[in-house]
Amino acid sequence: MFRYTVKRLIQGVITVWFIATATFIAMHSVPGDPLSGERLTNEEIRANLEARYGLDRPLFEQYLIYMGNMTRGDFGISFTQQNRRVNDIIREHFPVSATLGILAVVFAALGGILWGALTALFRNRLPDVVIMFLVILGISVPSFVVAGLSQLGLTSLNALFGVSILPVAGWGTLLHMIVPSLVLGLGTMAFLTRLMRSSMLEIINADFVRTARSKGLPPTRIFLKHQLRNAILPVITVLGPAIAAITTGGFVVELVFAIPGLGRYFVQAVQQLDYTVIMGTTVFYGAFLVFMVILVDLVYGFIDPRVRLE
Amino acid sequence: MSTAAFEFGPGDFERVAIERRTQTLSRPSVSYWQDAWRRLKDNRRALISLWIVIALAFFTLAGPLLWRVDPAAQDLDQVSQAPGLPQVAVIVEPYVPWAGLRATPLAAPAGGPGAAAGAGMPTDAAPTGLRLVEPATTQAVRLAWDPVPGATGYQLYRNIYDTEPDGALGLPVAEILDPAQVSFEDRLDLEAVPYWYSVVALDANGAEADGYVTLRVETSRVISAAEAETLGWIDDAAAVAIGDEIVLPYHPLGTDYLGRDMLSRLMYGARVSLFIGVVAPLLFVVVGIVYGSAAGFIGGRVDQLLMRFADFVVALPFLLFMILFKIAFGIGPGESGIFPMLVALVLLAWPATARLVRGQVLQIREEGYIGASQLLGAKTTYLVLRHMIPNTMGVILVTLTFAVPSVIFTEAFLSFIGMGVAPPTPSWGSMSNEGLRTMLTHPHELIFPAIFISVTVLAFNLLGDGLRDALDVRMRGQE
Amino acid sequence: MSERTVRDGGAPLPGNPRGDASPDRRDGGDSDIAPQRHDEPALLAVDDLHVEFDTYGGVVKAVRGVSFSVRPGKTLAIVGESGCGKSVTVQSIMGLIPMPPGRITSGTAMLDGIDVIHQKVVEGEDIRGSRIGMIFQDPMSSMNPTMTVGDQIAETLEVHRGYTRSQAYARAVELLGMTHIPEPAERAKQYPFVFSGGMLQRAIIAMAIACEPDILIADEPTTALDVTIQAQILDLLDELQATTGMAIILITHNLGVVARLADDVAVMYAGQIVEKGSSEELFHQCAHPYTLGLRAAMPGNDPHREQGLQAIEGTPPDMFDPPRGCSYFARCPHAMRLCEDRLPERFEVSPHHYASCWLQHPASPVEVPGLYRGEGEAA
Ligand SMILES: Nc1ncnc2c1ncn2[C@@H]1O[C@H](COP(=O)(O)OP(=O)(O)O)[C@@H](O)[C@H]1O
Ligand code: SF4
Ligand SMILES: [Mg+2]
Repeated sequence: MFRYTVKRLIQGVITVWFIATATFIAMHSVPGDPLSGERLTNEEIRANLEARYGLDRPLFEQYLIYMGNMTRGDFGISFTQQNRRVNDIIREHFPVSATLGILAVVFAALGGILWGALTALFRNRLPDVVIMFLVILGISVPSFVVAGLSQLGLTSLNALFGVSILPVAGWGTLLHMIVPSLVLGLGTMAFLTRLMRSSMLEIINADFVRTARSKGLPPTRIFLKHQLRNAILPVITVLGPAIAAITTGGFVVELVFAIPGLGRYFVQAVQQLDYTVIMGTTVFYGAFLVFMVILVDLVYGFIDPRVRLE
Repeated sequence: MSTAAFEFGPGDFERVAIERRTQTLSRPSVSYWQDAWRRLKDNRRALISLWIVIALAFFTLAGPLLWRVDPAAQDLDQVSQAPGLPQVAVIVEPYVPWAGLRATPLAAPAGGPGAAAGAGMPTDAAPTGLRLVEPATTQAVRLAWDPVPGATGYQLYRNIYDTEPDGALGLPVAEILDPAQVSFEDRLDLEAVPYWYSVVALDANGAEADGYVTLRVETSRVISAAEAETLGWIDDAAAVAIGDEIVLPYHPLGTDYLGRDMLSRLMYGARVSLFIGVVAPLLFVVVGIVYGSAAGFIGGRVDQLLMRFADFVVALPFLLFMILFKIAFGIGPGESGIFPMLVALVLLAWPATARLVRGQVLQIREEGYIGASQLLGAKTTYLVLRHMIPNTMGVILVTLTFAVPSVIFTEAFLSFIGMGVAPPTPSWGSMSNEGLRTMLTHPHELIFPAIFISVTVLAFNLLGDGLRDALDVRMRGQE
Repeated sequence: MSERTVRDGGAPLPGNPRGDASPDRRDGGDSDIAPQRHDEPALLAVDDLHVEFDTYGGVVKAVRGVSFSVRPGKTLAIVGESGCGKSVTVQSIMGLIPMPPGRITSGTAMLDGIDVIHQKVVEGEDIRGSRIGMIFQDPMSSMNPTMTVGDQIAETLEVHRGYTRSQAYARAVELLGMTHIPEPAERAKQYPFVFSGGMLQRAIIAMAIACEPDILIADEPTTALDVTIQAQILDLLDELQATTGMAIILITHNLGVVARLADDVAVMYAGQIVEKGSSEELFHQCAHPYTLGLRAAMPGNDPHREQGLQAIEGTPPDMFDPPRGCSYFARCPHAMRLCEDRLPERFEVSPHHYASCWLQHPASPVEVPGLYRGEGEAA
């Protein structure tokens, strides 16, 4: 287990390096540079700025310098927001995105397991039909539409009661987080529900469940100890990718609900070709995702003895 | 119960040769694909989805041939028009200027409640008698009201929904600084919709009073013959008489905030969304097949290396790189941005198929259909065709079907955040984005593209489910 | 899940208190049949069992009127080609038929006067696991992969015997020792996937006999195992039967296993029992062409034939639409005209030895070499 963990962490670091390099290449192949946005007619000023940001050096040298700084945890200074360090931008806005994302994942996982198990137990009966209909809807309606509609719903809800029951937009309190994280987690929850349902249906007829029945165990015990425990495993294996999908999908929700997360900085930075902010956010996001996936895998190892002992 | 011999006929105990017995046991053998098709046909949801997909294809391909309206043309007379029947306009005389109504300003009542020193007008004074001087039309809305004692002028507002207490009164359309002027003519971009006009009196300092009066006004659509001819609604201005009704260009699903025809935009948007939705999966599945079978067949170190690279690509944050790549491949002026999106999708999405195909190849190799020694022989092609394709086609078909909705989502998502197709090219995603801004007042601009996205995604998902069940493909955890 | 209605609360069969299985074991040298043995009251009597499944292609009539009885302390073997309904038969007794798509349309299985098909719980206790234990074909998939072997055995005792966790676990270790698993205390802590197939089957046997059941149902317990291990598992079953006195229903398609372990045999074909009797009679006085065919298919069993497998030609009939007459008609080398349309009657060829075949009819003129002809009494 220890060796496995170390191996995964080393792989993770290499992956992050790959992400950084890919970002660097992609970014520098965009026509123009961060300075072309400002109308710098004066060649001298431009040359000064280029020298200041190191843009006058050969690309490979820039790459080495950047990588060197990055390993020291320094993402540099933003091009467009004068004198603002990328580290500060991330420190300020990433916790918001992460909170939103983690809440959404928790909500999606719990909901998915619960609804999935329920639909499998009530297969082809009313609860199954109703929940699966909602699930299909949840999978098919884009998150921005759900976000917009729920905002509309909140507005009319607040209007109905004459007081602000739940805030329509913004960030800060727990109340602000509820609706956006529900909206963000909805698609994943629907996906996990389907996964849990099919996994549960498979388990219901599994050989070892038949064995448990042949031992005359009470149904609740069979459900909890034999079915649920095994049916959850595939759900856990996809939680890593689900976290990735949710956190990067977060910026639509951030946009609609005016949440000051990292996503909008990324979009802005890409539009303005703000090299350091693009690099910083992508690498940071990438590293976060890579290590979340590793974490989920390690947790999985604790739950599934077959993996734990390998 | 014992048997008596007479129950039996004479030939009953005659032997029957085994060849003469019909083997009723074997049912007609059906091929894998026939069987799959039969199962798909039994799946009602999948079948309905298939029809929806066919209808969508028709809508996309044949729609623009039948409904020849330019999706970029702006019908400024029918901006944000709700869906419904064709709009008509009544032919009227050309506009004649109006002098307006005047009244003698009234003096302020002495010591009225809340009267400020010298101001002469109560702060909560509200005009009364707000009325239409003549029926409101899109040519002009003519309002008049009773003078307010002590007012030095009036401020007029126009709103497109009813004013609420403490709410805004809407667009300030006029500030009248002459207390004798108690009428107003509105000619500003009038549409055939209800308006709520509010009048507020101004005090001696030119500040607005707290009180106001609001009037709901229904405007009817009118046009002069000459204007109608200029807009091309009629051919000859002389051929119509005052009072005639003429039909405006028809927008069955209404128009968007720039007056562009929704139906036509939805059709052209479908072209973008479905084109990317279908072509991108096809492309990356092909790339995945080539890559995956290369890894699977070559095996060994090369396989390890190739798959490690695939792992790296999977680890890239998908949406961030979609945005980056899309920008990196650049949009030239006048381009729609579809091509960079395709390239970005293919670059990022191939590993899933590659893994799948590699797994299948390895499995088939293990099962011994294709021995290692045969790999380089001439029989390889035959073996691949004979075993690989049928075994893998099912999985790939299902992957393909599930890839369509996820790509449509990605496109919608990118267009929604303004990183997708470049305007004015419509796509369902960018239409939703635009619709979201006017969601409160003109919900149809969001609802239609949202419904199209949802129904398409739904249909492909259900079809994918049906195919997966029919082809009996096990692919748990695949998105 | 299971129906709990009492359908047939008939009086208990006399003189069969549980656990007093007859201690006298069959003797390898003693090949003649003691008829009075068959007059012992049955421990479990299955009567006229019908089971159907709804499938895509239609209704599969998997079991069509199966009746047999199990004597205390004895082994009944059910043999037949795969797909003939052996597993469905015993799973119906155990209440393991998935419903839907399955359906038990009729039939009873009386154990001590209780119809266990319709009444799973007796005096608050599930008969499954306590009075009837079951082991399955594939040990690797028959255990919960996320629970230790010891816990899975102990679970049964906790539920049925009310043992505490530690008592149950201690007993589980003992049981593992009884099934000759080396270092049982260590093994109990392990998860199923580290066990080999043979070891796991031993553990499953330990689990099934944990509550000292009257009957152990073994559904092809050795099919998934290596040949050398197969013999060891069979030895173990034999040994446990000797020490605990339980009856065994052994399902197999291997006549060699039958010859070794079984006291009684029921031969199934296409959802019906076509011949049943004592093991000796079935081998020496085989009365049904299908049994004859199975015997011939058994390598090196019949001295009159050459070595090698003589598989029966053809495949079993379609269970969606079973034949009107004898289900073996299409493949039977001795079929006669009436076999096609008339269901063969059941003939008692010798006491307690039944065969459903028209060849046993007194009017049948056909002589089949190797086939035993009874007196032609239709039963
Ligand atoms: N869950 C099920 N659904 C449909 N058909 C089934 C099911 N279980 C068993 N059957 C059918 O019942 C018949 C008998 O099966 P089984 O008892 O498993 O045979 P075997 O004698 O090999 O144990 C088979 O033809 C099989 O198709
Ligand atoms: S009844 Fe006829 S077909 Fe059936 S086994 Fe006997 S002889 Fe053969
Ligand atoms: Mg079986």
